[in-house]
Amino acid sequence: MTSIVRNQWYVAAYGREIGREVFGRTICGESILFWRREDGSVTAMSDRCVHRRFPLSEKPSHLVGDTVVCGYHGFTYDADGKCVAVPGQTRVPRTARLKSYPVVEQDSFVWVFIGDDDRSDTVPIPRAPWLDQEGYTTVSGMEPLAARASLLVDNLMDLSHETYLHGGYIGTPEVANTPITTEVDEDAQVVYVSRHMDDADCPPFYAKSTGIQGRIVRWQDIEFHPPCLYLLHSRVAPVGVLPNEDGTDPNGFHVEVVYAITPETEHSTHDFWAVARDFALDDEGVSDFLRESNRTVVLQDVVALDALERVLAGEPDGYQELSINIDTGGLAARRIIAAQAAAGAEQVPESPAALAR
Amino acid sequence: MTSPLRTVPAGPTVAPTRVLSGDRVTRVAWLPGSDRLMGECSCGARAEGGDPIGMWQWLLAHPDHPAQVAEPDAAAAAVHVPPPHRVARPEQAAGPRTPLR
Repeated sequence: MTSIVRNQWYVAAYGREIGREVFGRTICGESILFWRREDGSVTAMSDRCVHRRFPLSEKPSHLVGDTVVCGYHGFTYDADGKCVAVPGQTRVPRTARLKSYPVVEQDSFVWVFIGDDDRSDTVPIPRAPWLDQEGYTTVSGMEPLAARASLLVDNLMDLSHETYLHGGYIGTPEVANTPITTEVDEDAQVVYVSRHMDDADCPPFYAKSTGIQGRIVRWQDIEFHPPCLYLLHSRVAPVGVLPNEDGTDPNGFHVEVVYAITPETEHSTHDFWAVARDFALDDEGVSDFLRESNRTVVLQDVVALDALERVLAGEPDGYQELSINIDTGGLAARRIIAAQAAAGAEQVPESPAALAR
Repeated sequence: MTSPLRTVPAGPTVAPTRVLSGDRVTRVAWLPGSDRLMGECSCGARAEGGDPIGMWQWLLAHPDHPAQVAEPDAAAAAVHVPPPHRVARPEQAAGPRTPLR
């Protein structure tokens, strides 16, 4: 039985990865081809030619206008995946079409819907608008993870693993005295883990990049939209400076860390990461620092989770795990994902013979 | 039924931070270093517990919250013999695989 949650939107790529060239990526165990039409919009279809299954993302497959031409025999498909030309004859078999995937490009991501296309507009796509917004500078990347997606979810929901520049250093006096609250909104299917420090030391990095002198209020909030989008909101301001009643927050400094957890296969994951900030916007030094620190943290987790996957993959089932207080948020995330998996499980399809009436 | 006597570090009762505003929001607050969790259901029921599994079970029992959050079973823990961790495949065996001379 698959552990991948179906009938959900997943981040497949950054917009900057997709252009006027064929691009293939495996998402949730499905081989998918992405490319841009001449008008700039992204399209996605199955990455196997209907003829002899050649990957359309492989050279010498290529685009001609708004069609993709298979590099093996020249089968040609339009932007909806319909085969419009086959070699050596005018008749194109009517079943010659590729599965076409719903695609939405927003917040610098290319989102793809995995499941039954009819359900794609009943499932909302969670937002991270700061990733592509005036007033924010973003650094981002993606690391391949040789581990199942659930291990990355466990890892990101466990605050004690955090080593982001602005939080998670268990052992400083403020952190030890700061409660961690886990909230679950059953209707919105969101898990929120909050740590709000009213009065804390300002780390040198923040002092340098924000110009804040003296103590600060530090808020660190995880907002996880299972199964894919993970947001970490970090707010820093001089002590006592809070957002306005109307929600605007001109005197706060914000760092938004975003992860998109997209299964590649049952045992591998695309680990998309991004860090956006609304201060020191043009400071290349700050960008380089954030890019390097976040990538270092991600790679440390990749090494650890790759090792964990290796030991888990061949083990017999039935080992007990032990959970303690730090796992409160992770357990909530697991439960929501399990419920989504049950809700998203596909109906058993009718046989091809029954369909061909 | 009386619960077994157990010494736990006294910690302040922490109020949960409220960020989400939906109708069906459950909250669990925890002070790092403390053994106690404070749970709050969307219906207003509150309870304290020492284990996140027991706490989520209590919260998910809504609207029929039991009188108390189930605590880990001290009696069972006293006789628990940890099983060996079995490894079947050679690639999962840890440690160097070169002969020692």
